[in-house]
Amino acid sequence: MKFQKSVFALLLAAAALPALANDIVPGAKQSTPILLKGGTLHTVSQGVLENSDLLMVDGKIAAIGTHLTVPADAKVIDVTGKHLYPGLIALANQLGLIEIEAVRATDDTNEVTDTNPDLRARIAYNADSEVIPTVRANGFSYSLVYPKGSALMGQSSLMQLDAWNWQDATVADGVGLHINWPSASVATNWWDKKKPEELAKENAKRLQQVKDYFVQAKSYVDAEAAGLNKGVDSRWQAMIPVFKGERPLFVHADDIRQIKQAVLLAKEYQLKLVIVGGRDSWRMADELAAAKVAVIFTAPYGIPERDDEANNTAFKTPALLQKAGVQFALSLDGYWDTRNVVFGAGQAISYGLTPEQALASVTINAATIAGVEGQIGSLDVGKAASVVVSDGDIFDYLTHKVRYMWIDGRAVDLNNRNQQLHDKYKQRPAG
Amino acid sequence: MTPFRLSLLSAAIVCSIAPSFADQTSPVYGIRDKTPNLLAFTNATVHTEPGKTLENAIVLVVDGKISAVGSSAVPAGYRKIDATGHHLYAGFIDAYSNYGVEKAAAEQVFEFGGKPVYQNSRKGGNASNGAIHAEQQWVNTFVPVADDAKTYLQQGFTAVQSARLDGIFRGQSFVASLANGLPGELILKANGPQFMAFGKGSSKQSYPSSLMGSIALIRQTLSDANWYRDAVGKQDQLQSRQPVEFNAALSALTNLEQSGLVFETTDDRALLRVDSLLKEFNLKNAVLLGSGYEYSRVADIKNTGRTVIVPVAYPAAPAVANIDDQLDVSLADLRHWERAPTNLAVMAKAGVPFALTTHALEKKDQFWPNLRQAMKHGLTAEQALAGLTTVPAKLVGLPEQLGKIAVGYQADLVIAKGDLFADGEIVSTWTRGQEQQFKPLKPVEFAGTYAVDLAGKTLSLELSGSGDKLSGKLKQADKHSELKHVQQKQQQLQFTVDLAAAEAGTGVLQFQGALDGNLLSGQWLLPSGQTQKVMLSKQATTAKAEDSKNGDKKADVVDTKLVSMLTFPNRAFGTQLTQGRQNAHIKNATVWTSDKAGKLENTDVIIKDGKFSNIGENLSTPSGYQVIDATGMHLTAGIIDEHSHIAIEAGVNEGTDAVTSEVQIGDVLNPEDINIYRGLAGGTTTAQLLHGSANPIGGQAQIIQLRWGVTPEQLKFKDAPPSIKFALGENVKQANWGEDFTSRYPQSRIGVETTIRDAFQAAKEYKAAFAAYDELSRGNKDKVAPPRRDFRLQALVEILDKQRFVHTHSYVASEILMLIHLADEVGFKIHTFTHILEGYKVADEMAKHGASASSFADWWAYKMEVQDAIPTNTCLMADRGVMVSINSDSPDLQRRLNQEAAKSVKYCGMSEIDALNMVTINPAKQLNIQDKVGSITEGKQADFVLWTHHPLSVYAQAKQTWIDGIRYYDQERDAQVAAQVAAEKQQLMQKVLGASDKAKQGSGGAVKKDDPIWHCEDNGDWLHAKFSQGQIQHLHSAH
Repeated sequence: MKFQKSVFALLLAAAALPALANDIVPGAKQSTPILLKGGTLHTVSQGVLENSDLLMVDGKIAAIGTHLTVPADAKVIDVTGKHLYPGLIALANQLGLIEIEAVRATDDTNEVTDTNPDLRARIAYNADSEVIPTVRANGFSYSLVYPKGSALMGQSSLMQLDAWNWQDATVADGVGLHINWPSASVATNWWDKKKPEELAKENAKRLQQVKDYFVQAKSYVDAEAAGLNKGVDSRWQAMIPVFKGERPLFVHADDIRQIKQAVLLAKEYQLKLVIVGGRDSWRMADELAAAKVAVIFTAPYGIPERDDEANNTAFKTPALLQKAGVQFALSLDGYWDTRNVVFGAGQAISYGLTPEQALASVTINAATIAGVEGQIGSLDVGKAASVVVSDGDIFDYLTHKVRYMWIDGRAVDLNNRNQQLHDKYKQRPAG
Repeated sequence: MTPFRLSLLSAAIVCSIAPSFADQTSPVYGIRDKTPNLLAFTNATVHTEPGKTLENAIVLVVDGKISAVGSSAVPAGYRKIDATGHHLYAGFIDAYSNYGVEKAAAEQVFEFGGKPVYQNSRKGGNASNGAIHAEQQWVNTFVPVADDAKTYLQQGFTAVQSARLDGIFRGQSFVASLANGLPGELILKANGPQFMAFGKGSSKQSYPSSLMGSIALIRQTLSDANWYRDAVGKQDQLQSRQPVEFNAALSALTNLEQSGLVFETTDDRALLRVDSLLKEFNLKNAVLLGSGYEYSRVADIKNTGRTVIVPVAYPAAPAVANIDDQLDVSLADLRHWERAPTNLAVMAKAGVPFALTTHALEKKDQFWPNLRQAMKHGLTAEQALAGLTTVPAKLVGLPEQLGKIAVGYQADLVIAKGDLFADGEIVSTWTRGQEQQFKPLKPVEFAGTYAVDLAGKTLSLELSGSGDKLSGKLKQADKHSELKHVQQKQQQLQFTVDLAAAEAGTGVLQFQGALDGNLLSGQWLLPSGQTQKVMLSKQATTAKAEDSKNGDKKADVVDTKLVSMLTFPNRAFGTQLTQGRQNAHIKNATVWTSDKAGKLENTDVIIKDGKFSNIGENLSTPSGYQVIDATGMHLTAGIIDEHSHIAIEAGVNEGTDAVTSEVQIGDVLNPEDINIYRGLAGGTTTAQLLHGSANPIGGQAQIIQLRWGVTPEQLKFKDAPPSIKFALGENVKQANWGEDFTSRYPQSRIGVETTIRDAFQAAKEYKAAFAAYDELSRGNKDKVAPPRRDFRLQALVEILDKQRFVHTHSYVASEILMLIHLADEVGFKIHTFTHILEGYKVADEMAKHGASASSFADWWAYKMEVQDAIPTNTCLMADRGVMVSINSDSPDLQRRLNQEAAKSVKYCGMSEIDALNMVTINPAKQLNIQDKVGSITEGKQADFVLWTHHPLSVYAQAKQTWIDGIRYYDQERDAQVAAQVAAEKQQLMQKVLGASDKAKQGSGGAVKKDDPIWHCEDNGDWLHAKFSQGQIQHLHSAH
């Protein structure tokens, strides 16, 4: 009976869910050259080119400029007055790993145990997620997805957002080893009643635990090099590229104490470090710049986390990082709200970034942090033909209107569930 | 004498034999005790009452009462106690205690996710809520506890007012003497005031789970008590059709104004909140237990006209030793650490009547050091003594028996060596002529020099100090040996000394003897084992006492110079002065009027007496008006948020029942929430604070203006029509609450409909009962109980009467249609659907019902019922004639509602004017305040925002935000204040780092902590977490 009951429950659960697959067909491989004519090109690498053309051939940018030699069979699209950007890149989120936050069956972000360096996020990436097309519609072509967890969370994967499945979505795998850094705060509150001393003790214990994992992993890696291991430890095996410096550590940390601890650990093992979160990164921006630690700042709209911080502390952080020379990308560590990252970058402009710097924070900087700056992140000849066309300034609500997107020269359908429901109910007869 | 006997002797001294009072009703076993109780304290400095002192006076005591005070001779037959050099005070009274009453069973540590408990187990006539113990008379459980009494007596307290400190209505207290004896002898007053508090203590019942629930329960209970007085003995013909029940709890509360009450508060906000609540019921005979935060609102507290029982516990200094950990230290906590010791002096100066209590102290022996610290800040000895004697004597209703040294008063006396309010020390405390001695009144002084002949050599023994500090050395010429193992009990003395160091031989010499006058007689126990009788004569002291006192004094120095500012709220970004209105002329702005005038370029706006008085081009500046050049800037009406949970204290949901329309957000406003200031920084001036979405019929909402630096009452939007929160869907059917939450009705959308229908039916019947009662003849009214006022149903009657407007949390089309149908059937209106993410599917029906909509701009995908949410919802609803607003439901989004509105321009091409109206005039209409705010229209209240850019642009920042002609936010001022905050914090941290360990150590003082950022779905037992030892996990919220 029990078995039947659970089968019934499963059926029920399945019946209750809406279609978790979208019916939008990924763009076909580019077969003919495409010329985008007369647009304003935000190249990222060479500034803004007014009234210029961009030629895409075989999925790559073949030429940029005016008076280009255009192949006879090229499809010409007039983008006069419109703005062209490289396909935007969102780093560090759960897009495609989670469909409906409150429905556990649709959430593949989390694994148990502290030590999961062998987990790869892309395995669960649902290319058919209803959420993804809504994010594309706001100009995003790429997303770095990572597994969540309690300590060593796993490896991130950079996905292009118009695909049949995770195989063809994958741009880069094993981009970073993501670590959820132990809390370092001793701030108290009235609802959990812990004293600062107790918090400090717990924090120290958790920190030691993470350090111990690195000691264990390193001993495995060293023994492996010497041929002394007696079997494969899947977890520590996955740490080999980390210790070789091939896979950076993406440490999720907001508090300056956490960031300092992570910097020390990275130094000890000579690892490449990226900070994800970075609420306090501005407090040690010079130090981060000197140590060449990049930051994925996930709180462009952040509300102060401490009593005495000024309201605009988070808003001003990107400009402070820029000023200090820290390489940073902007992001929102979520899934459906990834579509708003572009406006977060826009707000950062009003708090001190130039439009070019803001654009870099969602294109080339992000590409560099993900290790794919040679392929994407700017409008350059030879790079992927991943281009977004907006009616106006992509960062402002009043002018943002994405008309076209190509990823690797493939035309992306900008329709999405939101739009489809809109179109459907437009047709409801007046009642 | 052996050490064993010594210690026996000392025990006998401390526990001096209790004089026996007549055992009035119990049989005597053995020989009767007829020891007299005739005492004469002589030569004392007698503080007969605050401000009155007699020098060199006598106090006579007969049978536990004071029989004479003054300078007359001591009659024969009295035991004389020579108190030369000593001060006498009347015994102190602690009016807030749980002495002699068993504590409630240990509270379970609360964890969210535990099974809800809906019912209280019923016994006798107890209340239906487990936090109400009003019928308890704690005097009936009183058992004196000598060890506990001693901790009070050591500080000079001789009487307490006591009850079990558990629950909301805690029961009746009593007053007891701290003497030894049978309980019946010690009870000074059997029926003291009711003790009360907000916390529910050991009650396992889920209701109330929020502070507003606790207040609603108190309100209902006080109202019920009044009803019970009128109804008891009659037939409840109109409601239950039963005789009126026996209810012991209500019965105990029917004469609360006569018996009085003591209400425990945890901070200044709570204190003022209690005052208003009690005033609703005209309860004047109430005393409030303070928190130590009174200084921060002393004028308002003075205005309550109530006496406060004030703890002298201080908070520990925030931990600033670790540089990075300084980030976790708030300016508010630093300020409070510095100012808590000034509390009593501030209260005294302001004229707030207060009594002192040892309550809240970690240890009772912190009382005097802390009180003296308060005195260094300006509290006078007279004020302090009054707070310990005459004021509490009056509070406990025994002003003719306690609190003074006067004829006829109880012989409760404190004897101190020296002035207790300077650096005196309590040597003994007397309760009704019964002594508890802590130090001998006449300590034996060994200090001095004694000539010693030892093995033919003449040495000198030098003793210094006294008591535990007695030390000494044996000297020979310039050599000496320190005494070791010095033990002194009364006249008896022992020590050892190493002879070698004094070059007086080898081995360790031991001494044992006793001092009589100047003669120290005893024996040496020589290293050889031989004894040698000895008699030493004390010479005038030559040896200087090694005075460690200097060192102590240094540590005691209190730095009374304050470096902290006192603002309101007293935290970072608080304001120091009440900001006034300014008349202003804003020149040359782009004005988005949000009225039919639309957008006006190059326009001037004149603000006069808090209103927009003139709008036009090239206006001339009236004399004395402040001119603001707004060239290139944009002016809009202040932003209005239909859905917010900021500024709410200790719980946003009373989700413990399906219908909780009795709870009021307005009861728990927190004007100290920093999110008010942050909202202003984003241009928001008005918000409707809604109850959460845990139940179909939630609590009453409160519309506020985001005035930073005002009282809760001043936060309220004046004369805004009342409103209430309903909720539908996943939250109310507890879909995401976990497996323990599957028993409360309703668990489905189907059940939500019947729940609401039944509640309204009950409300209709309730209303009919009152009407029927009014129609009864006078004769019948004598027999029929009046209907019982039910605040839950009362709110629903107001909805039916169109006096209260419904804002309902809702998502999916089916539930929206359900509620429209139900409202039409029952006869009420849905004023606004909030969230309403599928509103676009049923917009025609909403428009037809006359309901408006308040939506998120683009939220979706976070739970099942928002899967069909679309960012074009606003346009589609507006197209079908629904009036639409955008709300925040979050203090974060509340800082950029302009951007949220702009998303409708992006997603569906809404006109810019219509989009801006979604956060100005439209929400004003939804809150029924459109005649006062929501647009820049001549005659309306001057609520406006000056923007750096087009207000819908991502690049726009609010430069200034005004409410009612008052500039509450200014971007430049904000930057200055931020710098000041950093500087002041630095100074205070310096002060902490430079302070002695003692000054850093806390003694249990209260520390205010911010509430979490509230979400619709925060359902934990916040009341328990806040007022008990419980912990809570911050629930992840899905709105």
